[in-house]
Amino acid sequence: MDILISSLFAGLLIGMVLALVALGLNIIFGVMEIVNFAHGEFLMVGMYTGLFTAQATGMEPLLTLPVAAVVGFLLGIICYYGFIKFLIRGPMVAQLLGTFGLMLFLRNIALLIFGSEDRALHHGILVDKSFDMGMGVIVPATKLTAAGLSVVAFGAVWLLMNRTKIGKALTATALNAQGARYMGIPTERMNALAWGIGGGSVTIAGALIVNFWSVNPFMGLLFTMIAFAIVALGGFGSVPGAFFAGLVVGLITEIPGIWDFFTYTFNFDWMNNVPMTSLKYMWVYLAYFVIVVVRPRGLFGWKQ
Amino acid sequence: METIKNALDFSDSPRIDLTIAGLVALFLLVFPIFPHSAFAMATMIQFLMFSLYGMGWNTIGGYGGQVDLGKAQYVGIGAYTTAVMLIRWDVPFWISMPIGMCFAVIWSFIIGYPLFRLKGHYFAIATIATTLVLKDIFEVWDFVGAARGLEISPIKYIPPDFLRLIFKQDVYYYYVILGFFFLGILYVNWFRRSRLGFQLRSIKDNEDVAQSLGINVHWAKVKTYAIATAFVSLVGSFHACYIKNIEPEDTMSLDLSILIALMAMLGGAGSLWGPIIGAGILIPCKSYLKEWLGAQVGLVGIDLIIYAGIIMVISAFEPRGIWGIVEKVRRRKRS
Repeated sequence: MDILISSLFAGLLIGMVLALVALGLNIIFGVMEIVNFAHGEFLMVGMYTGLFTAQATGMEPLLTLPVAAVVGFLLGIICYYGFIKFLIRGPMVAQLLGTFGLMLFLRNIALLIFGSEDRALHHGILVDKSFDMGMGVIVPATKLTAAGLSVVAFGAVWLLMNRTKIGKALTATALNAQGARYMGIPTERMNALAWGIGGGSVTIAGALIVNFWSVNPFMGLLFTMIAFAIVALGGFGSVPGAFFAGLVVGLITEIPGIWDFFTYTFNFDWMNNVPMTSLKYMWVYLAYFVIVVVRPRGLFGWKQ
Repeated sequence: METIKNALDFSDSPRIDLTIAGLVALFLLVFPIFPHSAFAMATMIQFLMFSLYGMGWNTIGGYGGQVDLGKAQYVGIGAYTTAVMLIRWDVPFWISMPIGMCFAVIWSFIIGYPLFRLKGHYFAIATIATTLVLKDIFEVWDFVGAARGLEISPIKYIPPDFLRLIFKQDVYYYYVILGFFFLGILYVNWFRRSRLGFQLRSIKDNEDVAQSLGINVHWAKVKTYAIATAFVSLVGSFHACYIKNIEPEDTMSLDLSILIALMAMLGGAGSLWGPIIGAGILIPCKSYLKEWLGAQVGLVGIDLIIYAGIIMVISAFEPRGIWGIVEKVRRRKRS
């Protein structure tokens, strides 16, 4: 029973962080209907930023979040004005391949600068502490904090999108770009802002993830695909949808733990032989496939 | 008979195109006679293989306008079928290749049928997702060697073995794939003016209108997807015999899928010569950059940075590819 509860709990915690990862992708897609393949690489940039800021200055890793946010915001803006602006004029195949090119570009620059080895953070007040949640569930403090701060960041972005003038302008651009332009909204700047917010939120997530996950230049694609799955499940363009979908996908990544629980409980031999941990992320991809085929709109989506 | 005549009929291309194509074909035929390095030969074989991949992608992605980023899974199916059958049961290439094609086509129907209800981004990402699912399964499946992959050991056979396609010299491989290359061009030339080809182009222009004209849009897409699959799986089988060492990581990776789509787009998607031009530019560029900058200068990843830069520039500024530029220039001349 312990295994089941702790897997479910771990799934929910990681799900909150993943929701923040997917949020940026969701905003960018919602506002300008472009799928950003480089999203996982933005996350990687956030992770490296958090890692090196913490290591170079020796400060508490959690205090690097603002630095990561600024770096991500600037990265998003630069990508938009330097590249995406030209890309969106072209057909869809060019957009897909173009952002894929951006992904390769960022990944290999990271490879050139940082090398291919895994790097991880080993200091800070949270390291090696854990909470006993009762019922045999022990949660590392890093994960708990990351999940909590992700929810805070998520809430902040939600407030920005729904309670401020800028957020309203962004939503208007998302709903009807031409109409928004007639109403005097600078849609070009709104697009850039969407990239800035998207980049900023995902690099915050990166700086949180680096507390309990090692970073290397090749890790981006996995997170890109997870973010796609979350966005598809929650509905393209829906912010609350992304949160619930994040939790669901977080639980999906914990399927091996749940499988272990059933293996021990019912003592089936054949269940032991399935290499479940190697197939950990296959379920996410499969979930994406099933979601888009069965319900392309997602759970909360308003864009078809 | 009619089909063959149609396949050989290139009369709608301008004469200058045909002259250039003829010269290139002649060069390809006599290339092995000239002195060349082993590296140049390997690059040429890669070029021919990727042209075929690109032609396959071009049927569904270029003429049909469906952005498919999951072609690598069919490379994997073809390669694994051939390798497994050769290693376990000593089945020659010429039998295992059509069987691999059948497997690939069946798989393409299984996933293509639900997939083609989707459009645009959803379709593109779903094809990636299926590739990754298949790759993950192959990485844990012991029967096909799991993550270690399979190795065809050439010692067991006496080269040159034309049945099993095990050779010592690359020249034999070169001529085999060159034969497939010419057949592929003829097939695409027939395809683009077949009933299905015309249906597909009308679907690309406007799906609703195509539907209202009585075209079964969904079925036409699924059929074309199967054709593209057959092309890719054929070259996958060849890849198994040529490389002799296949792993899920290099036969089914996303990078391969993207490279296939990119080549067709660079040359000009939806044209007969586009994928060949794209492969002719990108493949030598890629392998020589890797050789010079990656291996000799010692900067890891710089070749891929340049390659990524090329992708970005093309997709931002000339998304219709080189063939698009050629056609633009021609139109301007005519008017």
